[in-house]
Amino acid sequence: MNVATKSKNFFKSIPDRIKKLPKKFAAKFAGAKEIITQGNGRVSASMIVMGLGQLLYRQWAKGFMFLFIQAAFIVYAVLTGASDLFGFFTLGTSESDAWYGVKGDNSVVMLIMGILAILIIILYVVMYIANIKDVYRTQCAIDTLKTPIGFKKEVGALLDKSFHKTALALPVIGVCVFSILPIVFMILIAFTNYGGDVVPPALVDWVGLANFGKILSLGQFAPTFFKIFGWNMLWAVLATAINYFAGLGLALLLNKKCVKGKAIWRAFPILAYAIPGFITLLGFKFMFSYGGPINYYIQQAGGEAVGFLGLDAKWTARLIGLGVNAWISIPSTMLLATGILSNINTDLYEAARVDGASAWKQFVKITLPYVLFATTPVLISQFIGNFNNFGIFYFLRGGLYADGYFLASDTDLLINWLYNMSIDNNYYSIGAAISLVIFVITSAISLAVYVLSPSYKQEETFR
Amino acid sequence: MRRTLTALISHIVLVVALIVTVGVLGVVAANVETTRNEKFTGVLEHNVTLRILENDTAKEQGYLKELLDAFNAEYAEYGIKAVDANMDQYTDLEKGGPFGYGPDVLYQANDALMKYVDGKHILPLPVEKLECADQVEDAAWNAYRATVGNDTYTLGVPVNIQQPLLYYRADLLPDNWEEEWDDDKNGVPDMIENWTDLYRFSQSIRASSGGTKYGYMKSLNDGYFASGYFLSYGGYVFGNGGRDTTDVGFSKGDGYKGAKIIRQLASVMNLECTEDTITRNSYSRMAQGTYFATMTTPDVYTMFVKEMVNAGYTQEYALENIKTVDVPRLPVSGDLEDESEGFKDMTVMGGVNGYAISSYTKAPNAALAFVNFATSYKMIGRRAALLGISPARKDVATELGGLNETINENLAGGTIYVMPSVRALAQVWTPLQTFCAKIADDVLTGKNMLVTDDALKSGLMNVDKQIYDAIHTLGGS
Amino acid sequence: MSTAKAKVAKAKTKKVLNVLITYCILIVVAFVFFFPCLWLILASFSKSGSIYSFDGFFPTEYGLNAFDALFNDTVMYNYPRWFFNTLFIAVMSCILGTVLTILTAYCMSRFRFKSRKAMMKTTLVLGMFPSFMGTIAVYIMMTQFNLINQHWGLILIYSAQAPMGYMVQKGFFDTVPYSIDEAARIDGASNMTVFFKIILPMSKPILVYTALTAFTWPWSDFILPKMLLIDKDLYTVAVGLMSLGETEFARFAAGSIFIAIPIIVLYFCLVKYMINGMAAGAVKE
Repeated sequence: MNVATKSKNFFKSIPDRIKKLPKKFAAKFAGAKEIITQGNGRVSASMIVMGLGQLLYRQWAKGFMFLFIQAAFIVYAVLTGASDLFGFFTLGTSESDAWYGVKGDNSVVMLIMGILAILIIILYVVMYIANIKDVYRTQCAIDTLKTPIGFKKEVGALLDKSFHKTALALPVIGVCVFSILPIVFMILIAFTNYGGDVVPPALVDWVGLANFGKILSLGQFAPTFFKIFGWNMLWAVLATAINYFAGLGLALLLNKKCVKGKAIWRAFPILAYAIPGFITLLGFKFMFSYGGPINYYIQQAGGEAVGFLGLDAKWTARLIGLGVNAWISIPSTMLLATGILSNINTDLYEAARVDGASAWKQFVKITLPYVLFATTPVLISQFIGNFNNFGIFYFLRGGLYADGYFLASDTDLLINWLYNMSIDNNYYSIGAAISLVIFVITSAISLAVYVLSPSYKQEETFR
Repeated sequence: MRRTLTALISHIVLVVALIVTVGVLGVVAANVETTRNEKFTGVLEHNVTLRILENDTAKEQGYLKELLDAFNAEYAEYGIKAVDANMDQYTDLEKGGPFGYGPDVLYQANDALMKYVDGKHILPLPVEKLECADQVEDAAWNAYRATVGNDTYTLGVPVNIQQPLLYYRADLLPDNWEEEWDDDKNGVPDMIENWTDLYRFSQSIRASSGGTKYGYMKSLNDGYFASGYFLSYGGYVFGNGGRDTTDVGFSKGDGYKGAKIIRQLASVMNLECTEDTITRNSYSRMAQGTYFATMTTPDVYTMFVKEMVNAGYTQEYALENIKTVDVPRLPVSGDLEDESEGFKDMTVMGGVNGYAISSYTKAPNAALAFVNFATSYKMIGRRAALLGISPARKDVATELGGLNETINENLAGGTIYVMPSVRALAQVWTPLQTFCAKIADDVLTGKNMLVTDDALKSGLMNVDKQIYDAIHTLGGS
Repeated sequence: MSTAKAKVAKAKTKKVLNVLITYCILIVVAFVFFFPCLWLILASFSKSGSIYSFDGFFPTEYGLNAFDALFNDTVMYNYPRWFFNTLFIAVMSCILGTVLTILTAYCMSRFRFKSRKAMMKTTLVLGMFPSFMGTIAVYIMMTQFNLINQHWGLILIYSAQAPMGYMVQKGFFDTVPYSIDEAARIDGASNMTVFFKIILPMSKPILVYTALTAFTWPWSDFILPKMLLIDKDLYTVAVGLMSLGETEFARFAAGSIFIAIPIIVLYFCLVKYMINGMAAGAVKE
């Protein structure tokens, strides 16, 4: 089934899915309805105060644990939680004045702590529901004359059946606080007037969709946007393809039986991998400059100096960008591919060899599908990484505006353009609004690719 | 069923009620008027530590240690101790200050310091109480004045004046310069007095060396230095004394004449002047004798000397032959080949470095005492001796004489255009340096698209427009 | 007979040719990757220190001044101190980050729970957000947690953000045959035992890959430490090197080489784990 029919089917199924929604909803609430109608006094006790029902059932450890969560939440709410939540909506009411030691509100801090408060409240609700479900489960067990599951057994399950709950708890909290919260913050910033003169101690306000209205009304954006967007797409596709296939190719080459001293050969790309990116970029910029070594040799040989990254160097600069990006990224792709290839089932190749398949056929029929399957998500994240690759052209060719571009150079990617316009001026809110628009476009594309990819649809293939 | 439902709802109600009460109480508490305290009471805080942010050169040359030791000895009786803040010299007070991570006293350039006025991150100072109050040129004080509300405040104390200088190798002057290159017979070589002769001399060096050696060299795309050519002919950065960012004025007056000068200067250089290569390699190239002269700020003198020593000269020889002078004079005509209309002083972009006190300091009076101490006659004298800066104090400048006096006069006379202290300044550089690089590239690659006055004028107007757009497109309402 | 011989000879020449071409490509690749590094190494041994006194790629005179300055001139640029700061941060983040990433990837690959697909899609989509403005949020959060100007603050962020990149590892676990787990579970092993005793030992290649990436990121990162570390004595090497004067290229190059060394050492220690195809063996048994 090709992609076109797949996506067709996907869209065909949408009305069906919508029709099913109420049923799905009802199914979800059936459990809740059951608890509310069937729950006994002890369940009600746990509904009022977490853990109370468990204590009444003499499940001490669990009861006190839930009780502790209840108490901790109240303490948090009284100390900071409640005012943090309010701060999220007001974004501050009194301005501070550092000259006279007047302490006021910092809107940005309030916004972030507000998001954190909401996260904590969500966590509390989850715990609360778990608490009710737990006590109801005990009730049912006792009603059916079974012994309820003991605390020890439940802890044991956390290492076996529910191992994922234990293992995922820390990563999920960490990712929520340090990855998701900042992104939510950025998204919300797009709906405020934060930036320009409105930075703390000045108070920030919610402005609704005003920033998006502003973007739409800026006519001079459009031509530059489409030019840069086009190049950005081309760049992302080319860079990803080059890095991916070159890295895979290198890994395959080094996997060949005839290659002696693999560790040494593999060490050269590792060398490149070991040097931090910004040093590499500064080095390459110098190498290609008018005063750099390449032009030195050109001039020694009697040639004219070439402006590889100069004013008119649109395509040479772009190609150099691709090359430098490859130099930086191929080693890590190679490492990854080596790791994945080492796990491939060698029986398949033996079978193929018996059937007399050529090396190329083995690659196309066995290696490529296998590697592609294992790395589609990586491919997508590399595509996104390249799409938003800020460093390459910032270091290689920063500080330049090209003719026919609105405040951008002809090598700039969207993210560089955004940076030019927003960071130097502190126009955070509008910058966030533009990145939100870009984000919607890119995420739609990649999510579609991902959902339709074999590694998502047929996760079980290689089992 | 009713029991469970009541329990559920009562829990929700309780939690919501709790959050709402505490939240509302919090909002009410935040709006209670707090008292406004005057910070400079004149009473020194005792037993405090002041974190002082100085620049790297002051640290490297040992001046900071000397300053801190002298101050600590004098104020030991109050238990006041000044220490090196040990932060990056460009640390942004706005970022860390409000959260208590900034220094107490900062030494930075005026444009960096005055940016902090917007959020009131630095304190207005009772400068009339300071020892240096009368000794500093009013123009230097002006760089630190700002109007907030209806009042004008002074928020920093000038320490030294920064302006670009011409650096040259005295031993590379032609032997017969007194006959051939001193038309006015004032005992000063013409090529360091005016750009016309510097241009001519550069041409002759290039011709006699077969193109391997150069006269004046500088990365022309460096907006900070290149802006001087536009400013000299009536251009400006922002209107209203650098405050009105809606009025960008590089093309104003006869600004295009500056572009013509850049064009002519590029013709005696090579393509490296379109990028920052020359700014970086001028130290070693001057030492090798490949370049005769360049223009840069006073604080890098030691780097030229270091490179001379690296190239095999003695320290004394280097100190004797690396000379700095005020920037040369420009021809009124705006044409380096036409001196018929005489010469005028070049206006350069410069700055006034100084001290400011963080609004978040716990000891403002002690900090003020430190600033007073650090800007005293004695300390500024030491600073000038150790770091080779041009002091903003007239008494020290007069005593040192020479270039120091000239620079003070330049500031008073208006040929130093003090860098605007607005955040939008950051948007000036890219359009400006792209245009300057384009002019140089146009000459050196023989495209010759930017030859006529009109072409240069419209190019500059485009620069103004780009700067305006960069600042206002997203911010405009 | 002779045709058969010819065939053998032909196959032989083909094989030789194959080997020859392989090595040619390898030499080219090695050169492309090695040359810029060699340039950096040579530059660090330049006597004058300035990159502009070179003849093309090569310094005119060689000396050890740069290394001497790097380790002995520590008043302004305390490189040895920065080096150990970076090492501490990178090692701690590497250990914590690897553990969290591997756990996440394993769970996502092996367990089927309600919010799984939603989580996978969310992480994928959120990973696409151009994140340069999110750093403001991270900074402000750290001020609220009192973790500015502390190495543990950085370690916390690096390890907490690491699981966002679990996709690679999940891809790997997806290719590990399920039959292995099942066999073990029939023998009565719990999920935790299966993970620690069976899956983990088989996953050395991906463990090494994860550890290497989790190590190199904090090791060479510039943005976060620049933002969160204020005191110069707490700097990491990347931040410190960027503050180095523009004329001190040799010192810059020398500093960069020392950044590269731990990663190369790490690579040589771990390389053997990456190359053994362990899963292939496991299935056969």
